[in-house]
Amino acid sequence: MSDRSEADRLKREGWFRRTVRRPEIGSFVVMVVIILGLLIASDGKAFNALGLKNNVKIISQFGIIAMGAALLMIAGEFDLSIGSMIGFAGMSMAMMLKWGLPFGLGEATPFLAFFFTLAMTLALGWAIGTIVVRSGLSSFIVTLAFLFFMRGVTEVAFRLINQSTQISGLPDFKQDSWFADLLGGEVFSWFYDLWFWLGDRFVQMGFERDSMWFLLGGNLNRRGEQWVEGFDARFLWFIVIAVVAWFILSRTQLGNWIYATGDNKESARANGVPVNRVKIGLFMFTAFCATMFAACQVFDTNTSDAAKGNLMELFAIAIAVVGGTLMSGGFGSVLGVVFGAITVGLVSNAVFFIPAIDGAWFRVFLGAILLAAVFANERIRKRITGGI
Amino acid sequence: MSKKPYMRVEGLVKKFGPFTALNGVDLAVHPGEVHALLGDNGAGKSTLIKILAGVHEPTSGRIFVEDQPVQFRSPRDATAAGIGTVYQDLALNQLMSVTRNFFMGRELKGAFGRLMMDEMDRIAHDEMLKIGIDISDPGQAVGTMSGGQRQTLAIARAIHFGAKVLILDEPTSALGQKQQMEVLKTMMRVRARGDIAIIFITHNEIHSKLVGDRFTFLALGQVIGAGTKAELEGEDIRRLMAGGAEIADLEKELEEI
Ligand SMILES: Nc1ncnc2c1ncn2[C@@H]1O[C@H](COP(=O)(O)OP(=O)(O)O)[C@@H](O)[C@H]1O
Ligand SMILES: [Mg+2]
Repeated sequence: MSDRSEADRLKREGWFRRTVRRPEIGSFVVMVVIILGLLIASDGKAFNALGLKNNVKIISQFGIIAMGAALLMIAGEFDLSIGSMIGFAGMSMAMMLKWGLPFGLGEATPFLAFFFTLAMTLALGWAIGTIVVRSGLSSFIVTLAFLFFMRGVTEVAFRLINQSTQISGLPDFKQDSWFADLLGGEVFSWFYDLWFWLGDRFVQMGFERDSMWFLLGGNLNRRGEQWVEGFDARFLWFIVIAVVAWFILSRTQLGNWIYATGDNKESARANGVPVNRVKIGLFMFTAFCATMFAACQVFDTNTSDAAKGNLMELFAIAIAVVGGTLMSGGFGSVLGVVFGAITVGLVSNAVFFIPAIDGAWFRVFLGAILLAAVFANERIRKRITGGI
Repeated sequence: MSKKPYMRVEGLVKKFGPFTALNGVDLAVHPGEVHALLGDNGAGKSTLIKILAGVHEPTSGRIFVEDQPVQFRSPRDATAAGIGTVYQDLALNQLMSVTRNFFMGRELKGAFGRLMMDEMDRIAHDEMLKIGIDISDPGQAVGTMSGGQRQTLAIARAIHFGAKVLILDEPTSALGQKQQMEVLKTMMRVRARGDIAIIFITHNEIHSKLVGDRFTFLALGQVIGAGTKAELEGEDIRRLMAGGAEIADLEKELEEI
């Protein structure tokens, strides 16, 4: 009899092997390739002062909703109503801002419009979650119903109250309201101030304005003034949501419950995890993410229309999967989803920086990496579950 | 054995609509003993332990824990009364780590609901070591563990969270020979503590004889035989396992075909 025990059979792996086996590694590599490729193909334009701002804007938009979709997917459910929820929330806020609060409660401030809307979307998220857990029906079909239902309600409400399915030319609320500014204004202006200051140094050192170094190093317009003031506020919200999601998922009891619910809800339930409450809470979280998406858009552009958020539910799910989230639940990471959002955001925007390419290539690319990601994720799942 | 039973049930009846799954079952389990519950497929073993675990409510009959009558309305009630159940599917999540499974639903948390991961890793490792398995990495996913290791994890978890009655539903049935022995050894280590009563459900006669102190035989929802190891003869066990039929009769029947 040898003195080998079971413990000797699992070799602890070194740092490098542990890193390359992390579930995020695939999405990380793809992201790096895309960043480098875009940097070269666009002559650096994609990451000059304005390019970076625009890219970060779309990355943040995708990231906010993908975070909701990913957490829900980890808990084993889908939400196809995200896009319609965005449309509904945008309509609700814009309409209150234009026509006043419901039930004759008077003028709407940005703050009130947001919170009335959030109350409604959270209630809808709660309703969707409750229907899913009580009926035991697939969330795919329940949320598909809400996809149509809420898009329809949005259009009907627009026509009934506003006569037209869009609202434009709202006052620029972010000028006076700190709250509107927090959602639709600009953030991290110190970053662009610093960039401007650096660019100024380049000019003084005699660099040409169109040299590669200057493109990345300068935040000056033709007259030598500061070009871009700051990032869109969405960026801040994306960071906040991602950090909170990361903390909850990897460091808290609730995170353990989310994983447990998605992995095997019967065993989670047998161990006392409140599976239904976890799921309902996450449907409310996706509704919250959709509302933040809409709020940032409304207060940034002072417009809204009934088609806003179209197809966003599918992008959110695609990004979650590209980021390493398992379709079957129980596995996924916030960091992976951030990488996924950066990748998909950059590619969807690439046409603006490389005019020679056809914008439709974005969807070709998305389809291809989605398929690749599904295969990669399945391999990871098999490795963990021992091939079952 | 002179000790009082930790838990006992009297006249337990469970009907699923028109179907009588249990028809008046008595059972008593004592600390430091392995109580083997035997019977053919469909005899009602799983139904009986689901009642003890608070999953089903009995149609009639009474359950006593330390001589106090109790009613389990949910698995939580049963757990609180010290009934720890390890189901056939073990209630483990494959994609999650050993530690996360160990504390599933009962996580240790500090400020802001933060998990005390180091503490949890240490406890999970130590509790499993106590009953025989030294896992090197508590961050290992359960999906990569062997069947015997998973059994041990589930048992260690039940004990850590205060089980005084440990119910094991066919813990050896899905395992290979060597791992079956590992699980039996684990059971004996738990038995040796002296404060835990084990209900061991099996239809393996050899296993039950290896570890059992007391036996109860179920057939068609009824107890057809019960007693301590000394009270029951080896032949008896085989006859009762077959649901009361004599092996000799069976041989004869087979010959007639
Ligand atoms: N929820 C239920 N509804 C109806 N019949 C059931 C249910 N659970 C078990 N039964 C029936 O009760 C009988 C006993 O089952 P079970 O307790 O699982 O037997 P064992 O575990 O001894 O094989 C079986 O005939 C089974 O079909
Ligand atoms: Mg059974």
